Amino acid sequence: MNNAPHILVIDDEPQILRALRTILTEKEFKVSIANRGEEGLNIAATQTPDVIILDLGLPDMDGVEVCKRLREWTQVPIIVLSARDNEKDKVSALDNGADDYLTKPFGIEELLARVRVSLRHSVQKQGTQSKIVKAGDLTIDLVWHIVKRGDEEIKLTGTEYKLLAYLASNHGRILTHQSILSHVWGEADADHTEYLRVYMRQLRKKLEENPERPKYVVTEPGIGYRFLADE
Amino acid sequence: MKNSFSKTWQTLFSVALIALSTTIFYLLRDYLNTTIVALLYLIPIGVITGLGGLVAGVTSAVLSFFTLNYFFIQPYYTLSVHQPADLVVLTVFLIVAVVLSQLMGRTQSSLAAANAREQEATQLYELSVALTGLNDESAIAQTLAKQVLSLTNAEYVEVKLATDSFGLPEKVLPNRNADLQIPIQTIKNVLGEILLWRAEPVITSGEKRLIQTFASQTALALERAKFAQSESRAKVLEESDKLKSAILSSVSHELRTPLSTIKAASSSLRSNEISWDSPARVELISAIDDEADHLNLLVGNLLDMSRIEAGVLKPKREWNLLAEIVNGVLERMKYFAEEHKIEVNVSEDLPLVPVDYVQMEQVFTNLLSNSLKYAPEKTVVRISAKVDGDTLHVTLSNQGPQVPSEDLERIFDKFYRVTAADKVTGTGLGLSICKGIIEAHGGKIWAENLANGFAFNFTIPLLLDGKPAPKLPLDSEME
Repeated sequence: MNNAPHILVIDDEPQILRALRTILTEKEFKVSIANRGEEGLNIAATQTPDVIILDLGLPDMDGVEVCKRLREWTQVPIIVLSARDNEKDKVSALDNGADDYLTKPFGIEELLARVRVSLRHSVQKQGTQSKIVKAGDLTIDLVWHIVKRGDEEIKLTGTEYKLLAYLASNHGRILTHQSILSHVWGEADADHTEYLRVYMRQLRKKLEENPERPKYVVTEPGIGYRFLADE
Repeated sequence: MKNSFSKTWQTLFSVALIALSTTIFYLLRDYLNTTIVALLYLIPIGVITGLGGLVAGVTSAVLSFFTLNYFFIQPYYTLSVHQPADLVVLTVFLIVAVVLSQLMGRTQSSLAAANAREQEATQLYELSVALTGLNDESAIAQTLAKQVLSLTNAEYVEVKLATDSFGLPEKVLPNRNADLQIPIQTIKNVLGEILLWRAEPVITSGEKRLIQTFASQTALALERAKFAQSESRAKVLEESDKLKSAILSSVSHELRTPLSTIKAASSSLRSNEISWDSPARVELISAIDDEADHLNLLVGNLLDMSRIEAGVLKPKREWNLLAEIVNGVLERMKYFAEEHKIEVNVSEDLPLVPVDYVQMEQVFTNLLSNSLKYAPEKTVVRISAKVDGDTLHVTLSNQGPQVPSEDLERIFDKFYRVTAADKVTGTGLGLSICKGIIEAHGGKIWAENLANGFAFNFTIPLLLDGKPAPKLPLDSEME
């Protein structure tokens, strides 16, 4: 049990804590819980968990604030939980250091999938990052800037490649519009979502078998995009 | 000092006119007898009274009395009278002249008073017209200040109310106390005051009285505004009360249905009466899962509706591809749409549309699920979009049953159903949420019966802040 990944859950609702503790313990994770933001920050500092699950609506401090405070000293993956219609809060948490989000109510499969992606990224941050990303019959070589479907190379423009490379190197993680825009086009263009919409359409046409039902680059409504690679 | 200045001139004018007349009569003295001269004197006296009023008239009458006696009654150049007939002429002249000037003077002053009253009434009327229909304090203060300023030609006018104060003209607040201060009050309480700065000419009692009348008019307008506001608040409360009771009655039913299923399923799973490997177990678990989703949808709809009702549903309008939104919705709803054939005619070449992605997804989800619910299986549901000038026009048509034409508008009302509530599941909120979202985007939504089916239509303006979709930078690094 000592090598089990350690998950810290920060949430003020006892029923959610109870359910998450039961389920995550059942899945052989080591689980710590905190009811308050301050308490959560303390546990994060003293017990160095591998993943933090953070509710955005805490009684003592704003969840986004917790993200910021954590990011001052640690890169531990943070998955935020929030009610359905707070796109603004989610985006703000993601832009302030959170790695992923889940909308309440969520299925446990979804939660476990997010936890797995987060754990993999936290391992990658420590070790070497994979230089080749595979998704279905796509192969993206991030070193040689080559994108192939099967054996056939796909020709991308410079911007299209930059966009794909950023998504693929963060595969499994959600990237907000703002973070993609400032990464690919630069800070000055960070609010031009129309660039993103148009280039994403072009990219999907080249990558996806059916661009109308994208499998690799999926839209996260109101938040951003996520690249799905093979596990 | 305008008034006394003109008085001096009046006196000079009166004296000059009498002197002129006397000179003329004097030159003609040999041809005229005393009685005729006396009669002729009445002309300048009449003119002076007409122009100068009562006092000037009487003064000139007395003056004429002396000049008549001095120049025209023998012995000339004395004030003594020898002939008794001349004495009669003089006496009659004096009486006639004074009475004439008094009569004319009175008419004159009552005419002036009538004019002043008419002007006051006009100004009061203008003020009350300007105040009519004003329902907020600052607009009332502004109107009053403007009217008082134009009435008095003051240096500065300030209207102070409980919540607001307004001064005119801008940036000329004099560095001393106001010359006139008049409270704006009702019988019960003081609502504010009018402050007026005008050193010269001194404010007359007439002006003061008029401003007081203005103040009481304004007090009435303020009270009226207060009543109007509390009335509209009361209306809002009544509306929201109606909504609340409608929600309670519809929702308690809608909420209990999934809750009963969940409770029944979870308690039987807990009771150990169902063996671990029975198929019933899987069935019960998926019932809990489905009903939890249904409950979540219901709560979400209620939240959206309350947000629309409260007017706080603000779309985050950004340039989006309609095709991406529609395809996303179809992907997520594919399991619900298995029994129908869905045709999409939303060109990828449509211009970017300025919409809130999440809200627009919800519009398509609600309209599509409504179409799927009522259209018979195996029929076609068609989604199409076209550009019409500066507007995007979207149509969702199906081969479902028609809706009676008198209900076409009402289907977008909250909790309104054409079919009885127990026949179809849903919240009765989906279409009214669509309406709320489309209207928040500045568009319109309506339903129509087709020759063999039914269609939803909506429009979305293609301009964002008056501008069309921006041009994109060219991808210069083409490989």
